[in-house]
Amino acid sequence: MRAALESLLRARNLDLALTAPGDSTWKPPDSVAPTGHAALDAALGGGLRRGHLSEITGPPSSGRTTIVAGALAAATARGDAAALVDTYDTFDPASASGRGLALSRLLWVRESGDAPRALKAFSLILRAGGFGLVVLDLADVPPATLRRFPCATWMRVARIVEGSETAALIVGAERIGRSARGVTIALDAAPARWQGATPRARLFAGVEPAPRVVGAR
Amino acid sequence: MKVLPTPKMHQSSAGPGPERFGSWELGVGSLYACLRGQARDALLAIARDFSPRVMAPSELEVLIDVGGLGRLIGAPPAIARELAHALSDAGVEASVAIAPTQSAARLLATQLPDYPISRVPDLPVSLLEPLETLPAGINHRDRRRPYETFERWGVATLGDLAALPAAELSSRLGRRGVAMQRLARGLDPRPFVPDADTPRFIGRLELEWPIDMLEPLSFVFARLLDPLSAALERADRGAVAIHLDLRLTDRSTHTRRLSLPAPMRDPRVLRTLLLLDLESSPLTAAIDVVAIELDPAPARITQFSLLQRALPSPETVSTLTARLSALVGESRVGSAALVDSHQPDAFVMERFVPDRAMSAVAAPGAVLRRQRTLPAIRVAVEHGRPVHIAASRRGLPYGAVSQAAGPWRASGGWWTRSGEGGWNRDEWDVSLASGAICRVYRDRSTERWFLEGIYD
Repeated sequence: MRAALESLLRARNLDLALTAPGDSTWKPPDSVAPTGHAALDAALGGGLRRGHLSEITGPPSSGRTTIVAGALAAATARGDAAALVDTYDTFDPASASGRGLALSRLLWVRESGDAPRALKAFSLILRAGGFGLVVLDLADVPPATLRRFPCATWMRVARIVEGSETAALIVGAERIGRSARGVTIALDAAPARWQGATPRARLFAGVEPAPRVVGAR
Repeated sequence: MKVLPTPKMHQSSAGPGPERFGSWELGVGSLYACLRGQARDALLAIARDFSPRVMAPSELEVLIDVGGLGRLIGAPPAIARELAHALSDAGVEASVAIAPTQSAARLLATQLPDYPISRVPDLPVSLLEPLETLPAGINHRDRRRPYETFERWGVATLGDLAALPAAELSSRLGRRGVAMQRLARGLDPRPFVPDADTPRFIGRLELEWPIDMLEPLSFVFARLLDPLSAALERADRGAVAIHLDLRLTDRSTHTRRLSLPAPMRDPRVLRTLLLLDLESSPLTAAIDVVAIELDPAPARITQFSLLQRALPSPETVSTLTARLSALVGESRVGSAALVDSHQPDAFVMERFVPDRAMSAVAAPGAVLRRQRTLPAIRVAVEHGRPVHIAASRRGLPYGAVSQAAGPWRASGGWWTRSGEGGWNRDEWDVSLASGAICRVYRDRSTERWFLEGIYD
């Protein structure tokens, strides 16, 4: 009976409710939010850590958005609510929905290029709580604009999310800021997959992101 | 459950419990009676003898919230019998139906006596027409359009409609299709809002000095909303809408109406929502008089699950979306819903209401970062294929094309009279020497090239 209940809780990602009998040194592990990318989840030890601020960086067409869409889809499939603050209004609902994202469970905030305002919206969502994954997309923001943010900005954001059940994620072209126990996922330029032998029969089939986990603790 | 019919009356009734209703997803706890007949005033008078919570959704129908009459009268059949006797004594000809939702009660009231609620899925789809809430100016053709579509599809009964996949229905018929399916499943399109003769929750304050800033106004709101919330709590009600009337010093009146996604009565939440709404609609003069009215509805009962993560509460979502709307604009916050169209980037923004909907099936493929301002680009073409792209501004990808797939021709909207919203283009997926993979297209009407987005 106990085994059945434990397997049910594990299947629903609620294994934090389990205790190890007789083990006084047992401590609950960090709760994680799987990204839906098998290799990345294995490297992260299950997924993005809840209660921490992580970041994903890489050049255009490296697969950042594909991984983010997969992570949002995994969150909505688990039953979590998710949010995306889209600084340059570049999110494409049709292709993200094709990756399995339940759009009705995604709060989409469409900013028109004002990075400080996008950051404020990100903070508001994190403060409200109740979301499983909150993403701030700064990928198209010029580095000079990001450098104008005070150093303490990301520390304050990390403090907001600390201790909550929310995994916070920033998407950028280069490293921006993360919390101490958050992770940086770096992506290099990914090769494109093409189908069809002849130029006329050629078909673009997607990119193969190759994420590396940098600086995980 | 069976009710003894009395002469000249039609009665149907059923107790709550989802297992009784086949494919109907009815809630447990609420109970509504519908009286259907010609003598509306007489029906209203009889209804008010039973409950203060009465509303008339149409000229022929009167709905009564009989959820609290269980201890006073008894089980639903007993309530239906009492109503039938009252109608008989008054000499009013009407049918009586009791069901756990307003829609179910209204559908049942159109049927013959003792029509079992378990057979409601067999009723024709056309019965939904009087139950729909449509814009005032809608013409007959638009009103009938989804019914003609259902006829073409072979969807004849409410059960057929209820069984359709909601996501597919939404993509083909939009929000109206989903609303019709909810009705077919016996779900209510809006909470029960009693008529004006029922108790009202109104607060009004004439100010000694005009107020022209939000901060002092928040104290006035608190003074009005605290007693109103207490009154709602005493009545076991929550507010589903807030009406705010502000009389200004220039003799004009600033009126706002806020619809809430669920009944709520926390005065701090209500006050925050009012202040955020006023932030997005500034006043033209200082305020002299503040009047607030709350539309009551039965309070929400929430049962949390041990096995599912809790979603943000409606209060949290309302406050958050109001704050975000004040920050970035109301039309730029919400959930995207795809529409059934081949037009590129076709979607609508809807209110964010996290539900328990399951995700779509995932398929491999790249995700596009869409350029919604559509920057024009210069493209060199050789033998009909793009070979080089030059960007018109900084930050856009450019360079020699290493791989290209296309063209994929897409056109539509040419059948509209003005041609507005039409598109006619040849699309290419191109990989540049710099590593960027883009979707570009040539507009066939203007012969210009545009960058649609970058695959990422």
